[in-house]
Amino acid sequence: MKKIKGLHAPHCKNTAEMVPVAIPTPAVVTLPMKMHAGKPAIPVVKVGDQVKVGQLVGEADGRISAPVHSSVSGTVKSIDEIDGLIGEKRKSIVIASDGEQAVYEGLTPPIVTNLEEFLDAVHASGVVGLGGAGYPTAHKLTVKESVQLDYIIINGAECEPYITSDTRAMVDDADNVFEGALLLKEYLKPKKIVIGIENNKPEAIKEMRERMATVDGMEVCELPARYPQGERKVLVYNVTGRIVPEGGRLTDVGCIVINCTTVAVFAHYIKTGMPLVSRVVTVDGSAVNTPKNVIAPLGTPIGELFDFCGGLKDDVKKIIMGGPMMGAAVPNTDLPVLKITNAILAISEKDVEASKPTACIKCGRCTAKCPMRLMPSHIEDAFELKNIDLLKKYKVNMCAECSCCAFLCPARRPLSQVMVLSKKMLWEAK
Amino acid sequence: MNPVTVSYAPHIHNHASTSHIMRDVLIALSPALAGSVLIFGMRAAVVIFMCVASAVVFEWGYQKIMKKQETISDLSACVTGLLLAFNLPVDIPLWQAVFGSGVAIILVKQFFGGIGKNFANPALTARVVMLISFPTAMSTWAEVPNAVSSATPLELVQTGALQYMPSNLDLFLGLHGGSLGETSELALIIGGVYLIARRVITWHIPVSFIGTVYILTAILGEQPTVQLLAGGLFIGAIFMATDYPTSPQTNSGRLIFGLGCGLLTVIIRVWGNYPEGVSFAILFMNCIVPFINKLTMHHALGGKKA
Amino acid sequence: MSRYAILIKGIAKENPVFVLALGLCPALAVSSLVSNALGMGLATTLVLIGTNTVISILRNVIPDKVRIPCYIVLIAGLVSIVQMLVQAFVYPLYLALGIFLPLITVNCIVFARAELFAKKNKPFDSIIDAIGTGLGFTAALVAIATVREVLGHGSWFGIPIPGLAENSISLFSMAPGGFIAFGLIIAVISKISKGRAAKLKESGCASCPSCAACGKGGAE
Repeated sequence: MKKIKGLHAPHCKNTAEMVPVAIPTPAVVTLPMKMHAGKPAIPVVKVGDQVKVGQLVGEADGRISAPVHSSVSGTVKSIDEIDGLIGEKRKSIVIASDGEQAVYEGLTPPIVTNLEEFLDAVHASGVVGLGGAGYPTAHKLTVKESVQLDYIIINGAECEPYITSDTRAMVDDADNVFEGALLLKEYLKPKKIVIGIENNKPEAIKEMRERMATVDGMEVCELPARYPQGERKVLVYNVTGRIVPEGGRLTDVGCIVINCTTVAVFAHYIKTGMPLVSRVVTVDGSAVNTPKNVIAPLGTPIGELFDFCGGLKDDVKKIIMGGPMMGAAVPNTDLPVLKITNAILAISEKDVEASKPTACIKCGRCTAKCPMRLMPSHIEDAFELKNIDLLKKYKVNMCAECSCCAFLCPARRPLSQVMVLSKKMLWEAK
Repeated sequence: MNPVTVSYAPHIHNHASTSHIMRDVLIALSPALAGSVLIFGMRAAVVIFMCVASAVVFEWGYQKIMKKQETISDLSACVTGLLLAFNLPVDIPLWQAVFGSGVAIILVKQFFGGIGKNFANPALTARVVMLISFPTAMSTWAEVPNAVSSATPLELVQTGALQYMPSNLDLFLGLHGGSLGETSELALIIGGVYLIARRVITWHIPVSFIGTVYILTAILGEQPTVQLLAGGLFIGAIFMATDYPTSPQTNSGRLIFGLGCGLLTVIIRVWGNYPEGVSFAILFMNCIVPFINKLTMHHALGGKKA
Repeated sequence: MSRYAILIKGIAKENPVFVLALGLCPALAVSSLVSNALGMGLATTLVLIGTNTVISILRNVIPDKVRIPCYIVLIAGLVSIVQMLVQAFVYPLYLALGIFLPLITVNCIVFARAELFAKKNKPFDSIIDAIGTGLGFTAALVAIATVREVLGHGSWFGIPIPGLAENSISLFSMAPGGFIAFGLIIAVISKISKGRAAKLKESGCASCPSCAACGKGGAE
């Protein structure tokens, strides 16, 4: 089998050796009701209510949704529509912290004896795909009876540059990751559980291998440290050799891909009853004075994280939530840490790529390196012609939005943006 | 805090750019440049300078007159001018060299929309235009020190004057009559290895092109080594056929392209009127690149048949 | 429309070669020398005058359904006459033009004028139109031929131009040179007139030979 090789992006894993440090409790946290894919949660508290750490403040609206828990103890200040991450308004609960961080009394470990109770527990923990996709984990793990589950692949690839929060989870929280894997094995009964880790994380591989070796049907798969190994279809292909059909789900080929931090979070919940209220965020980039891994309560303004890491340099030109390949550039530092925020980066002016696009020279690099084997330059032509039939033919709907094409393009064409716009055009034409 | 930039991902880049690619091509061509000046003397440097300078001036002037964005800083005009010069005999009248640059830059490149839009290789088209327009000047070869005859080895093969044929080593080093840049295979191979190592080109086109010529001429009972080393095969296969806009974008397409070029080259050399067929072969294959691209389109991973 | 306007229209605004892009086959084939181009242009003009006159006179007699065969017979007859005249009086030109002289029969311009003008107008107007179009065709041929002969042969009307005669670019005297010269002249005209020359306004769109291909469906 020929593996998808991907491309060499700079690793910049500067914070890989840094144990996460908790930041001081923020004065105010903003908890958007939609930090995941699917329907937003419904607030269950009123303005003026006293809340404590771990208390439910937003109830899940159905199964394709996730509950939200308070990350601080304090008073609910407002429940309003607030500017979200990508320019849309999102209903958010703002909580003023009293600084005590008192834990909610009602937190008890759930009783898990069968698959149904296990899925309920995962749902109640508020955990979503913490690698960045934000898909509600409980719903992901709910597979149809007819599906023969062969593989559960725990995604520890973390192929994006800079980010090391998953690496730290596999090293510092190795027991939880392992226990979560055991839970998955017990209740979902896959033939095999594989944890895929890029080979630039030897410590994580060692920790995982030590534990996994004790159980049958579990193994560590070393992946080459090349972007985008962590893309789910790429991961499935490189670990199992199976190809996910167009429009199909991973379960169609008997696979589930789940982020390693996600696994650790629900294992922790089932053990202690503490839901997802804080997460590890990598704070890095050339405009950050002392890059660190920090443990931040959800809803903390990202500005406080930067301040904790020695503040920003004067020449900061770009602030990114997520990794540099797929993350979103944001206009200010007031935005809160979300469940899916695995990194925040600040980039200096000198490192911002601001060159103007020039004419496509048809070098074929985007085509050669696309992990989905699409032809981005052709898709761009079809997009400019607004030719829906051609876009369909070139399968733009299968684009994984990994940005490899735009990363490589010598003419600096905004290919990844064109891909997303083409998808939208295709969607609207339906 | 200063205002920050908001843009779509990715936020990093591998720093490749069109001008870097063209710079690499120029670096790869420099051994051949040195070789041509060593073999043919200072007149070669004059021809090369005229071609490069006029190509840049034509591109700049056209973009000024037509009020288009200037692109001379991407160095592509320099590459075109240099490649054209490498395809000319050393004694070419200078006005004809300038005319060739004009054909390459204005007629072939700019009229079709500038860099990336031309369907045929500018330098090669200009060479063919000049070959048709100035048949005498384009096939009058200067005496080369050490060589017995001023005719190109392929002309010797065609006329059957094999007693004047240089040794294989002389062929390889380039000590024989011919165009400026095409004679020294040693210099061209150094450049080709550099380009492949820098990942500017892939190995597919040169290997399939040269391989096809070697195998076919062997089958047809010619002397394959002479056919390989004698003409413009190496400069064509390494620098001309691999020109991005006029070659297929997929590796399988590149193999087919090289195969077709090799096949046509052999046909023209063995059965045609012209002793050399590389440029015609590449130009012909340039025209069918869109079809090769269509034929070798990537099949999306897991994509349903449309 | 005044008769002067009819005459000028054929030469400039609706130049058959550069604007309507009709009759390109002879325009490219016999334009390597100015003398041939002039001869071809004048022969075509003669044929045009003849056909336009006759068709205009007979416009009410020819049934609409069989008009194309009728035109062909008329044009072929007139072309034969012109061919014999050329053979009799300018034999070198007859040899130079070769097959392209009888091919005037199927020249689009002759058809287009019959179909677009002579069919609907009085004989005298039709003659003016034929002269205008013929002169436009001749002028276009001479223009192409001037570029080609000067660059390709280093001469003009057979008169060698000092300096150029020794340094001719023989590509221009060959077929590809015809295309290149034609393309360059059209590009220059289009640039100077800012694209206006190529827009058809007065001649109908529906009768255009490329109607099916252009897709506007005969909407004028």
